[in-house]
Amino acid sequence: MWSRKSAMLGSLAVSMYLLGLTLRNTQLVTIAVVIFVFLTWAALFGGHADVASTGRRADEWKGEEGAALGNVSAMRKLSSARIFEDGELDVTLRMQNHSSLAKILEVRDRVPEVMRIKKGSNYILMELGPRRETLIEYTVECPLRGFYSLGPVAVRIQDAFGLFHKEKELHVYNDFLVFPKMEDLSDTFVKSRVPKIFTGAVNIRQPGPGSEFYSLREYFEGDSFRAINWSAYARSGKLMVNERERDAVSDIIIIVDSRAVSETGPVSRNALVYSTRAAASLTKYFLGRRDSVGVITYGNEVVSVDRDTGKKQLYIILTKLSGAVAGGNIPLQVVVNRIMPHINKGSPIIFLSNLEDDPTIVNALRDFRARNFDVTVLSPSSLEFEFDAKRLDRTGYEVMKTERDVLISELRGLGVNIMDWEPDMLLSTALAGARGF
Amino acid sequence: MTIKKPSGDTSHLYDGKTVRSAAPSRKKAAGQMGLGSEIPKDAIPEVEIPTFIESLLGGPLVPKMKFLPPDKMVQNLQIGVYGVLIALALLTFIVSPEEGSIWYMMTGSLGFAFIMQMIVIIAATVAGFWGTFQRDARFSIASNLLFILAILRFASSKVTLSNDVFGFSDSPTMLSILVVVYAVLLIMYFELSNGVIRYSMLDTSIRTNEVYVMNPKKIVGKYHRSLILNPILATIMAMIVLNANNILPFIVGIFSEDVAMRMEESVELISVYGVALGTLFVFLVVGGLFALNLPTHLQNYRENKAE
Repeated sequence: MWSRKSAMLGSLAVSMYLLGLTLRNTQLVTIAVVIFVFLTWAALFGGHADVASTGRRADEWKGEEGAALGNVSAMRKLSSARIFEDGELDVTLRMQNHSSLAKILEVRDRVPEVMRIKKGSNYILMELGPRRETLIEYTVECPLRGFYSLGPVAVRIQDAFGLFHKEKELHVYNDFLVFPKMEDLSDTFVKSRVPKIFTGAVNIRQPGPGSEFYSLREYFEGDSFRAINWSAYARSGKLMVNERERDAVSDIIIIVDSRAVSETGPVSRNALVYSTRAAASLTKYFLGRRDSVGVITYGNEVVSVDRDTGKKQLYIILTKLSGAVAGGNIPLQVVVNRIMPHINKGSPIIFLSNLEDDPTIVNALRDFRARNFDVTVLSPSSLEFEFDAKRLDRTGYEVMKTERDVLISELRGLGVNIMDWEPDMLLSTALAGARGF
Repeated sequence: MTIKKPSGDTSHLYDGKTVRSAAPSRKKAAGQMGLGSEIPKDAIPEVEIPTFIESLLGGPLVPKMKFLPPDKMVQNLQIGVYGVLIALALLTFIVSPEEGSIWYMMTGSLGFAFIMQMIVIIAATVAGFWGTFQRDARFSIASNLLFILAILRFASSKVTLSNDVFGFSDSPTMLSILVVVYAVLLIMYFELSNGVIRYSMLDTSIRTNEVYVMNPKKIVGKYHRSLILNPILATIMAMIVLNANNILPFIVGIFSEDVAMRMEESVELISVYGVALGTLFVFLVVGGLFALNLPTHLQNYRENKAE
């Protein structure tokens, strides 16, 4: 492929040659000849690598690879396929030259834009000997949650003067997952006046597996014989079984607002980032307490993770939270109407949203409260994010802040535990504020 | 009566007060904001697009072209450029007499043409020095263009010299060598001044950890070898082309001495048309090589041979 430099020299040579013939001038023709010799030599014997001498970076490949690159291959190994935000990922790229000729290559391993190279480099100039391989090691820092992919590997070879080059993309991809960062909440509740966010288990007053007696009912086929209450059988003459109250395990429902508006603010500081981190921290805390946790995210669609317990559930929820993408504008009322029949009355509900651009919020939360759900709202303030990023002027900020305060007061009046979560506030502090600890 | 216009900042109205208002509507409030509707600066991702000059002389690995102090390799290249620049300036002055210059064609005045030619050559030299010293691609390309302007000739097929201290005019061979050396120096100047910028970029990128270079000595060594090999090859090839009037009769002489004699004495072959004939031959060969995609075939051959 010709570079701009070679195109410029080629044009100059042709112009000088034609001008030299027209004007019958030997000097111009001679210069043209010399330039052509340079170009020919470079085109025939290109095997050099130099950084961006063609004016284009190696990752802007347009699809012309030479025979020289046919024998180059790459493999990549990651230190982990799952890490947490702000975690570091060690990447080892193995470049192999299957040819018997040494090659000088320019290699660029494509890294997602949000990642930062912490150690080493993903952009390398190297001489790869015949039938040799080399390891390129670098470390990336992953500041934001999400599904990511490393690759492809762009390889370029060119002549010493940067006149002609060949490029190839090696389609080697490695996917990995960045989970939201989690805050340890256990200390928070120990320090607070009330030992737990929801004191003990919430009394859900429903039959289920547990130890406490709940009621008697008639025997049905399939009931365990161990549950038969023989005294009651003796009294009534019918087979009766003991029903037990579900054990002291709460069903915690976490609702995460991932509508398009939740991403208002800078990329690393917005309501969705804060909400997913809070949801991850709360999930870990409640699952650690052997509660049952379910998560619902809504934006383009309503995505839910059914309530369950255990470590596996933590990873399922973290994966869902990692993939939460801002988009759509489904109102909260739609979500509430959909989930209400499936959650146990009285279950604690934690709602994470910036409370913006949704006129149904008040009614939806009122519906929850009317059915005696314990509702906690943590609201990362998009206003603060935008004001800090200097995207809002003082007046606009004051007006919108007032409107937000009014809405928060209104929700508080419904009996919702709500906290205006400011950017610099720790999750534990925000939770303590919401629950009035 | 003068009416005092209220200030836009109303924040003081809310100090220490609880204000009640309607339900929030960000859209409505956003429409009332005084900041305008421009896109916030931090919302636009940085796109590094090289300027035209940057892309001609090497791409912007370091987008703003702010180089760190030059390393030894760059310093050596700079010294090389200075040397070539002085030689090139002298040769340009010698091989481009004012008679055939563009200035003489326009004004018909030898004095004016001489002054203009001197100004162009001096400007090209000064711009070249400054561009290389400052590692500023704009000055380097300006210098390149000025040298091309200086060498543009609008007269005579024969090479004439403005200053013939060594008596080169008497020997056509020496004249040919002089022109070829001049042409090679010009191209080497283009390449070396470009090399200063490119290797400054590379050096800065290495030191800012944007790029890692494994075994830099080999990479630099190959560049150095090319800097020596290419001028030698170019000189040999150009000499062959320029001596077409001697080579062609020699080949023809194998078959017929009479025809060879007539060819040797032919005015056409000695003139620029002889050069053109030789050049045409070279162009045909080069064009043929490219048309046959010889670079790829050659690479394939080398790869297969190595296997």
